[in-house]
Amino acid sequence: MSRQAEPTRLLLLAPPPAAHEPRGPAAEALLPLGFAIELCHELRAARAALAAGAAALVVADLRIEGALAWLRELRDAAAAPPVLALVRGDNEAVAAFRAGAWECVDQSALARELASAASALREHAQRARARTVAGDPQAGAASEVVRHMNSALVVLDRAGNVTFANPIAAQLLGAEAEKLVGRSFGRWFPGVARSQLPVQRTLERGDRVRGAEAMVAREDGRAIPIGLSASPLRSARGEPDGAIVIFQDLSDTKQLESQLLQREKMASIGQLAAGVAHEINNPMGFIHANLSQLREYLEDFARVWERVAVLRKVALGAGGEVRAAAESAEALIAEVDAEFLLRDFGTAVSESLEGAQRIRAIVQDLRSFSHRDTGERVHADVNKALDSTANIVWTMMKHSVGLSKSYAELPPILCFPMQLQQVFMNLLMNAYQAIEERRGQDGAPGEIRLRTELANGGVRVAVSDNGIGMEPEVQRRVFDPFFTTKEVGIGTGLGLSTSYQIARRHGGRLSFESERGVGTTFCLWLPLDDESGA
Amino acid sequence: MAAERPVVLLVDDEDHILAALRRVLRREPYELITASNPAEALATLAARPVRVVVSDQKMPGASGIELLRDIAARYPATKRVLLTGWPEEIAAPEKRAARLDAILQKPWDEAQLKQTIRRCVAG
Repeated sequence: MSRQAEPTRLLLLAPPPAAHEPRGPAAEALLPLGFAIELCHELRAARAALAAGAAALVVADLRIEGALAWLRELRDAAAAPPVLALVRGDNEAVAAFRAGAWECVDQSALARELASAASALREHAQRARARTVAGDPQAGAASEVVRHMNSALVVLDRAGNVTFANPIAAQLLGAEAEKLVGRSFGRWFPGVARSQLPVQRTLERGDRVRGAEAMVAREDGRAIPIGLSASPLRSARGEPDGAIVIFQDLSDTKQLESQLLQREKMASIGQLAAGVAHEINNPMGFIHANLSQLREYLEDFARVWERVAVLRKVALGAGGEVRAAAESAEALIAEVDAEFLLRDFGTAVSESLEGAQRIRAIVQDLRSFSHRDTGERVHADVNKALDSTANIVWTMMKHSVGLSKSYAELPPILCFPMQLQQVFMNLLMNAYQAIEERRGQDGAPGEIRLRTELANGGVRVAVSDNGIGMEPEVQRRVFDPFFTTKEVGIGTGLGLSTSYQIARRHGGRLSFESERGVGTTFCLWLPLDDESGA
Repeated sequence: MAAERPVVLLVDDEDHILAALRRVLRREPYELITASNPAEALATLAARPVRVVVSDQKMPGASGIELLRDIAARYPATKRVLLTGWPEEIAAPEKRAARLDAILQKPWDEAQLKQTIRRCVAG
């Protein structure tokens, strides 16, 4: 075991430090980890440094001109070290992952996250080095890189059959590496004509393919998005003779993209919703008020009608004109079925009133959905907000659900407490409904677990249930406005989208994990502000 | 008519809202009068004493909160109730300037509306 503590060589490409700093924030964060850091401030120097010595990993700040293009080069070069990119914002992270970055750390979280990300990356590199075979050091290193690189790599022969696959390729395709050999690469792209395969041009004409996206069907049938690059192998005579194909799992990247899309969608829907709610509110006001009044009128009228019944009886017993008038009235009463009208009038008004109340609930949800709060944030105790909400909701579910609480000591955070309570209410109601649904199927006793803790510079509130869980297609749409799995009239479909908006408004996040038949956990994360951190 | 009934002025640019409010308050012991905009409301106030004004927020010309602020300055004895779909959108300084006696959510709750006006008339 040569566990000699030789420092890992790290190439850091970052802008020069400001005048008052000795090293710059990235170097500062990396230094305590004991890397041998080679610091470059421009791309040319980094290229030269990488060519000269074998850095085990690269940390590249994307503010450096050309850094992203360099990442792509490294991605497509077989023996390049893993790259950790320093990015600004999600868009840049997506771009970096696309360009082959192994990991991304946001500039804003440098001090917090860079050290742990880099040390994870170092372990990866060390494992690779520890296994390097003796003999030809160059070949050994190259084969180790291929085995341990973070991208999937397969080599294809002229016919497009696999002749080599690295472990990541095996993992990504869901089969053992040995079993991949000999198979046609096209088998993992069902439904794609051979001529349309992204590697076909490389095999036939020797063209390079870079950054093509495709859906790959794993051996277990699961489809995942990949980003793929292919380079031609050439025979001694220079003719295309197979290809080297490198591909990455883009699931995380895709998810990030869809979250970005989701955010934009929510913002525009929020505006639309606000406008619609404003317009609906006035007519809703008088429809609802009038229906309530009609019901009151009707109660009075029913009392009158009772009196009239007596009058009718008496009048029929009388003679002459009175009797004739009474008989004519009775005929009309029978013809229009006045007794039924009176009864059904009441039913129709009650049903309409219920409908109006439903619309009113939707408008109210829309209001908080598009809430433009002019109130001020206050420092509040999240535990207290959660607990009081849980206690209210609890009264209606205690007959069927167990509740456990685990609250960490939390500093007060700057928030709109009523809005947070609204989120907790939504999460608790959903948990309860998921439990009820499961109980209806297998009678499993329900449990809701509440947990608060300090995490990632903020407060995390987790609401877990052992309810029915969500199907994947439900999970995809769970934050969509008006998406509901509940019966018509039960949910407005705005609870979770509103909660999502509220989390965003607090600079926080709402996320979840769910498995059908096992349960669901929703996590609300809220950042600490400067004062609460103190 | 033995005793003068307290006057309640309802202000809204939507006729149906005024009619609906009248229905809700039909059995209450007030003289109900209405105005379709802030200017008309001020003209009414100049002509006769009003015990309570219930005003909508969004109206052409001036907003309800502006109307109630004027009334607070010129007719401090008149109680002021704002009826709005979006109470959270009214900034705190505006609320203070109008010295509101009550702020009610629209669509309103009938019982709450009656109760609020009764309280204003009595106070």
